[in-house]
Amino acid sequence: MKNSLKMKNLLPALAISLAMSAVMSLCIVPSAHASKWDDKMTPEQVEATLDKKFAEGSYSPKGADSCLMCHKKSEKVMDLFKGVHGAIDSSKSPMAGLQCEACHGPMGLHNKGGNEPMITFGKQSTLSADKQNSVCMGCHQDDKRMSWNGGHHDNADVACASCHQVHVAKDPVLAKNTEMEVCTSCHTKQKADLNKRSSHPLKWAQMTCSDCHNPHGSMTDSDLNKPSINETCYACHAEKRGPKLWEHAPVTENCVTCHNPHGSVNDAMLKTRAPQLCQQCHASDGHASNAYLGNTGSGSNVGDNAFTGGRSCLNCHSQVHGSNHPSGKLLQR
Amino acid sequence: MKFKLNLITLALLANTGFAVAADGYGVANANTEKVKLSAWSCKGCVVETGVSGTVGVGVGYNSEDDIRSANAFGTSNEVAGKLDADLAYIGENGYRASIEAYQLGMDGGRLDINAGKLGQYNVNVNYRQIATYDTNSALTPYSGMDGNNLTLPDNWVTAGSSSQMPLLMDNLNSLELSLKRERTGLGFEYQGESLWSTYVNYMREEKTGLKQASGSFFNQSMMLAEPVDYTTDTIEAGVKLKGERWFTALNYNGSIFKNEYNQLNYDSAFNPTFGAQTSGAMALDPDNQSHTVSLMGQYNQSTNVVSGRILAGQMSQDQALVTSGYGFQTPTEAVDAKVDLLGINLKLVSKVTNSLRLSGSYDYHDRDNNTQIEEWTQISINDVNGKVAYNTPYDNTSQRFKVAADYRITQGMKLDGGYDFKRDERDYQDRETTDENIVWARFRVNSFDMWDMWVKGSYGQRDGSEYQASEWTSSETNSLLRKYNLADRDRTQVEARITHTPLESLTIDVGARYALDDYTDTVIGLTESKDTSYDANVSYMITADLLATAFYNYQIIESEQAGSSNYSTPTWTGYIEDRVDVVGAGISYNNLLENKLRMGLDYTYSDSDSNTQVRQGITGDYGDYFAKVHNINLYAQYQATEKMALRFDYKVENYKDNDAANDIAVDGIWNVVGFGSNSHDYTAQMIMLSMSYKL
Repeated sequence: MKNSLKMKNLLPALAISLAMSAVMSLCIVPSAHASKWDDKMTPEQVEATLDKKFAEGSYSPKGADSCLMCHKKSEKVMDLFKGVHGAIDSSKSPMAGLQCEACHGPMGLHNKGGNEPMITFGKQSTLSADKQNSVCMGCHQDDKRMSWNGGHHDNADVACASCHQVHVAKDPVLAKNTEMEVCTSCHTKQKADLNKRSSHPLKWAQMTCSDCHNPHGSMTDSDLNKPSINETCYACHAEKRGPKLWEHAPVTENCVTCHNPHGSVNDAMLKTRAPQLCQQCHASDGHASNAYLGNTGSGSNVGDNAFTGGRSCLNCHSQVHGSNHPSGKLLQR
Repeated sequence: MKFKLNLITLALLANTGFAVAADGYGVANANTEKVKLSAWSCKGCVVETGVSGTVGVGVGYNSEDDIRSANAFGTSNEVAGKLDADLAYIGENGYRASIEAYQLGMDGGRLDINAGKLGQYNVNVNYRQIATYDTNSALTPYSGMDGNNLTLPDNWVTAGSSSQMPLLMDNLNSLELSLKRERTGLGFEYQGESLWSTYVNYMREEKTGLKQASGSFFNQSMMLAEPVDYTTDTIEAGVKLKGERWFTALNYNGSIFKNEYNQLNYDSAFNPTFGAQTSGAMALDPDNQSHTVSLMGQYNQSTNVVSGRILAGQMSQDQALVTSGYGFQTPTEAVDAKVDLLGINLKLVSKVTNSLRLSGSYDYHDRDNNTQIEEWTQISINDVNGKVAYNTPYDNTSQRFKVAADYRITQGMKLDGGYDFKRDERDYQDRETTDENIVWARFRVNSFDMWDMWVKGSYGQRDGSEYQASEWTSSETNSLLRKYNLADRDRTQVEARITHTPLESLTIDVGARYALDDYTDTVIGLTESKDTSYDANVSYMITADLLATAFYNYQIIESEQAGSSNYSTPTWTGYIEDRVDVVGAGISYNNLLENKLRMGLDYTYSDSDSNTQVRQGITGDYGDYFAKVHNINLYAQYQATEKMALRFDYKVENYKDNDAANDIAVDGIWNVVGFGSNSHDYTAQMIMLSMSYKL
């Protein structure tokens, strides 16, 4: 329920504060009340009833018209026809199949006063996220959603309807300019990260979370869009792909060894600044092994020498991502 | 009809006839035997055709000289215009089109145009821009920034140290370090009447600007502006097949990268040293290509879902080598560098009962660098004949094996946990194999209306094959060094979160995290890293029109490392403390002035601060290293007529950062010609007026 609760307050917040498009205002729905049956039945009873109804398959006599007989008064219900799920001339739309009941389940005796439960979605539904989502996943089975089952959001009981709406002309969660705020309403650590000294340009929505991550899960760690961390980075940083003549081993294996892509207190999203970062792996005899004390109060200063001042190790070893120069072994050229 | 079945009766029903619903309510499971679709109609279904949506234009004024403010304001110009649009067309027979434009004309602008027939085909045209600004006041004596030949003034007089260069201070010009990306894309998608679909997407990205680099001779270095003029073409295409319970997709992904400049030539500002070189050449990122083909599929058998993917790819590069000033024979004119990629993923998720789900997965990813190993003479500082070195094409293979269980104890109480095994194998490195075993568990309770809480913990242990300083990386490495990405490591992580909703309109959310990386066998190198953070978030809908939100985040990362300046046991230690505070608050008021006016105010403050201390007998520190930023966004939108709205935005950014290591003059370090101090300290303001019209 957490996510739906948070989204409940977040979406109006976004709608008002961002107010970039009229679409967002669709999020401000009049405070909905729980379904009629929730007063009389426990969530377990509702689910068991829905299971039974679904198995029995008592669909309505006239399809959508049976439903609209009562529900056409609701603007929200009728807004379905503004979006793709309500398209009446597409063979792929639910309207070409079981219509309203494709998602809300067989009508059964629901039309007799509306007391019999139907499948409902979103914040007011007591139905488990897993059961709600089984409806959506019944159709939305493709390469972008194949890892939903057992994925990060599935395990955290996030319902599709926590983020998405179908009774709208355009699903507001797909708006790029508000995406980051939707994601960071739960991913609060990343919200702090993107406000740090250096980060990808997420704070002002030039980039969005989904540029790298698939919220529906993927086969890669952290639900990344590409088959590995590095291939995700190369999607925008193709110049670092090489393969170069002289490679820097951790660069070829994992960009995240040195960088925190969400942001860092250091420049260039580095986990630690140079020379300390470099000295965590390089301790050959000579200048790499020495202690660089910085400001000691007795004459030495952090900005007075090339080991700590300026670009530190990168003053000379500028080609830290690899070099393609014949004499580039030390990543200087 | 009233449902008065008790729980026991329902449980009996569920266990006898209706267990099938464990698989959920997907259409594939629907029992449609009794449906008489021929009698169905949809007279009440009304799809209105025509064009709807909004278009808007705006103009902004930004008075700030420090170009860094353009990151927040979306433009580096004093005056900037923008176009917003959100238009949709619905035609007869499923024809649809849409145009979405967001801040077009400004940095970060986007355009997305779609046209097609629902369920059949779609054509997409898109455009996107990203710009990031570092500074416009970097100082350099070089000219030639519009190309790749950086030259000093004709009458330049070299010297042994930067402060002795007679012409340096009089020949400094300011320079802008910024990068801009422009992406243009074209896509086409076609869906067959049943089963199959296909798509192709093409995108071209142009990235231009200048970034910081350094050119060096022996122990002398000059900061240089490296030209960025990249063109990347990306093509994605695929075929998908789909049935009721399965689907499969064959995808191709190609990327071709071209760099306008493959080398950067530069004059030396210093007196010549070894080799008497007066100019240098640096190899810039070579043109390269990457091609990947993947086949993936999924089968959904009632309570079990099996998914898999196999992919094969190649990354290659054969850019002509830079030989200017090299002076030795190269074994080849261009390195024919090739890396083969192979990935295999397999995952099984099984819903054993309604409350228990098990999952298991295996992932394999291999990077096989097939670049020929050759002998390369290295320009050496103490031997004019040069030293011979061999390139080390790195291979690595990673394998992941994961099992997890997810058990719902009651409707509002859940326990999940799992075990992960990771094996990484590498060559030419200090350790051939590392193995990591991780166990994790999470417990979540949301059985009460007003409370939702969870706690998660994990423990991982990494070890591996014998660690030995690799002759390939450096024969001189201290044998006590353990590189942190290869070292033995115990990792402990705990995270907890509580969300409380005391009122329908009020949500309070607090969370805390702690992570400890203990490098158990490291004497030299990173020995420990601790990351502690917590955050609190409040959202309060004071009235139906008035919303207030606030959040606070705090994080501290502490790292310890050790080194040895006499090539044996540790003689010095380093301690780094990174601290971050982020605070934000916002208020928005809707429906003022008879529902015509809405206003809002958002404020954020973030303070990133890092402190480095190194101790060897005496203790030194690295001085101030911080970035503090206040952002205020105020807006008001007035619905002037039914169709037209006017909007006013006022943005303020107060930004201040420092880095003591770079807070120095161009000649502040004797053997470096730098860019000068590039700290920022400004209060920038932007005003934007916009108008939108509803069609």
